[in-house]
Amino acid sequence: MQSPNGKESQERFVIPIGPQHPALKEPGHFEFTVEGEIVVAASARLGYVHRGIEKATESRTWVQNLYLLERICGICSHIHATAYSLGVEQLAGVEAPPRAQAIRELVAELERIHSHLLWLGVAAHEAGFDTLFMYTWRDRETVMDLLKGLTGNRVNYSANILGGVKCDVDEAQASAIYRGLDFLERRARHYLDVVTSDAAFLERTRGIGVMTREQAETLGAVGPTARASGVPRDIRVEAPYAAYADFPVHLILDRAGDLEARFVVRVKEMFESFRVCRDILDRLPPGEISVRMPRRIKEGETISRVEAPRGELFYFIKSNGGESPERIKVRTPSLCNWASVLNTVVGHKLADVPMILVGIDPCFSCSDRMVVIRTGRGDPEVWTWEKLRRYGIEAHGHHT
Amino acid sequence: MTKIGAMLGDVTRSLFQRPVTQRYPFERRAAPQRLRGQLHWDPEKCTGCALCNKDCPANAIELITLDKASKRFVMRYHIDRCTYCGQCAQNCRFKCIDMSSEEWELAGLSREPFTVYYGRDEDIQAVLAR
Amino acid sequence: MDITRSLIALLFFPGGLFLLLLGLAYEWVHRKLIAQLQNRIGPRWFQPLADMLKLLSKEEIVPEGIHPLLFTSLPVVALAGALTAALYVPLVGLAPAYSFPGDLIVTVYLLSLLTLCLGLAGSNPLSRFSLVGATRTLTQLFSYEAPFLFALLGPAIVARSWQISEIMAYTQAQGQQSLLGWLVFTQPVGFLVALVGLMGKLELPPFDAPEAETEIVAGVLTEYSGRGLALFRLAKNVELVIGLTLIAAFYLGGFNSAPGATGGLQVLLFFAKTLLLLFLLAGLQALFARLRIDQTVGLWWRFGALLMLLQWFILIVWRGMVA
Repeated sequence: MQSPNGKESQERFVIPIGPQHPALKEPGHFEFTVEGEIVVAASARLGYVHRGIEKATESRTWVQNLYLLERICGICSHIHATAYSLGVEQLAGVEAPPRAQAIRELVAELERIHSHLLWLGVAAHEAGFDTLFMYTWRDRETVMDLLKGLTGNRVNYSANILGGVKCDVDEAQASAIYRGLDFLERRARHYLDVVTSDAAFLERTRGIGVMTREQAETLGAVGPTARASGVPRDIRVEAPYAAYADFPVHLILDRAGDLEARFVVRVKEMFESFRVCRDILDRLPPGEISVRMPRRIKEGETISRVEAPRGELFYFIKSNGGESPERIKVRTPSLCNWASVLNTVVGHKLADVPMILVGIDPCFSCSDRMVVIRTGRGDPEVWTWEKLRRYGIEAHGHHT
Repeated sequence: MTKIGAMLGDVTRSLFQRPVTQRYPFERRAAPQRLRGQLHWDPEKCTGCALCNKDCPANAIELITLDKASKRFVMRYHIDRCTYCGQCAQNCRFKCIDMSSEEWELAGLSREPFTVYYGRDEDIQAVLAR
Repeated sequence: MDITRSLIALLFFPGGLFLLLLGLAYEWVHRKLIAQLQNRIGPRWFQPLADMLKLLSKEEIVPEGIHPLLFTSLPVVALAGALTAALYVPLVGLAPAYSFPGDLIVTVYLLSLLTLCLGLAGSNPLSRFSLVGATRTLTQLFSYEAPFLFALLGPAIVARSWQISEIMAYTQAQGQQSLLGWLVFTQPVGFLVALVGLMGKLELPPFDAPEAETEIVAGVLTEYSGRGLALFRLAKNVELVIGLTLIAAFYLGGFNSAPGATGGLQVLLFFAKTLLLLFLLAGLQALFARLRIDQTVGLWWRFGALLMLLQWFILIVWRGMVA
């Protein structure tokens, strides 16, 4: 490539990041075309963690699907289960009792705290700030212990059942949660201070990866990534589900649109979560924690939208009156945010690429919903679960 | 206001503190009471409704009926298939199923110990004899 | 007798094998300090040794399309350069094995041999990560090398000599007069630049852009495995020890060593001072995020070079006034 006055410009070449790369916690393939250190083009390829979950839901009962869908993602597992439960309850015409909805919200907000602390550590690690990484993950243990005490497990809490929740909050639990929240709030204040004032860290985040509000709206960004660019979208505020009508959350916005704004928005959301958790514990409605649900869900289709820690999570559930769903479609927030990465990364230096990538809080496990199987004959076919499974077994030469 | 070294406070305090890492297995903290560990089944109260089996997402529970009228059942439980979700315990109307909060170190070197039989001794012998 | 003593000094003590083991020990102390600052446990004492033994016993995979002789010999050259540089510094408080006028310059350039070898090793265009890593290594070399060299020459100016043993004799004499005679108090700017320059030379965070794990996997070392990787890492550890020794000898008042003298006091002072410096190094490493390569260059050429010029100006004026 030659510029007009005849001097050769720097050679372009393609830097592959992934599927195995220390920057990525999960596999995904990115190709960044760089000239020197400046990125001029980017492309992504996902699909490495496709597990055929949507197809698998069609051969399991409604209750079994709850646990399957919970395992789409390890960090946002409760919110997937909540979205599913709310959708199925809508279909069946059943309303979970207010105490159950409040406990659902409590666990969801604790999960949000956990997710944002985890993300803070990972983002710091991508910037080379290992000290912040270690400290945020140390504090994350506190919230995981709270969840373990409340629900019985540190990850995949399984707090939900169709029709309510499994675990109740009693005095001991409530006081443990209060103590944990106080500790975490002190630490979160400190992290807000670090993220907005540490000189070396600001060099890596201020003014980097800027996405204006128009760009964010055009590219369809959701969640804290969009809210950091000034897009006022939050399902908990716009379309309150679970107990958000009784225990509301405030919308956290930031106008700057750069990486620092994304950090600030997430840490401030943590403060909101602390406040709401305390509110729920103070005013927990009395009553039962679950109602009976029929085994066969009435025919119909419904959508269920919730706010995962990464953005809007969307479930489409269709029932044909049987014991298994006919179709479940999951659209996770990370899928919406990839386009924003590929667009904002052009023009930045190579060293900023991992930071911009991690700025959207990518969850590859959530994103891999579809895999295109090219058979070479040109016409797409619909595969049954059995056929897909057999293909996988034969392709890898394993025996069951 | 930008600072140089905003983590200085944390770092200096850590110099004088013991590392927060738990030296497992020498230090083992007690698990909370609600921990969903290994399943235990009490055959005395079971009526054989098999709701636990129907809703298990992992086919980890098999309820073998020896004699429904006299309520002789044996449960074959697969530790390696179980996801520890607790749905079976939730479903059981007579509280036969309990998830231990102490048995959570379940790793093993071979697969045989992962298939556990619960029930009255004579019933288990009868099943194994088959 | 002399040949035997020289060979022993070269191969076993205080150079050679002892230096390699000392390098591993310092690596362990370094990692343990960082872990303590991050509120965690860190590795056990034999971890660096175990790493080296494991690497040395693994297969060395030579990537396709690369000159095999260059690939396998560059780590050896790097380690050789680092071990040779050890001959001129007062290791373990003992007098340097060899000493001649101007050996300071030679030592500093032998220490840079490692960086040059890394840059050459990464110039294989088939591996993107190596190429970017090599570019960054050499760019960083051009940015910290001048201020670092100036910082080491600051004591040379006041000692009026370019020979390490003579400079050390001067700083020791100053130190023995009073504690405030240590050059760390009379030339604080030089000390700071020397310490941070050592971090740049060793590619420690925040100057680890050439080895940025989350961006370019491991930079130049991505393609190295087995013996090559072990030798590069050993060379880095040896450089850590030599760098700390130099800075302690110049700025922290030396080790009370005189030619031919051996004594427990020198060894004690050596370990005390170099470990103090290592502690400062670990503290600086734990506090900061990684700098981008352009930020590194900007920082060094704006602050590093200016600070050193200021320091030199002061020294030259002082020397003009005193002489």
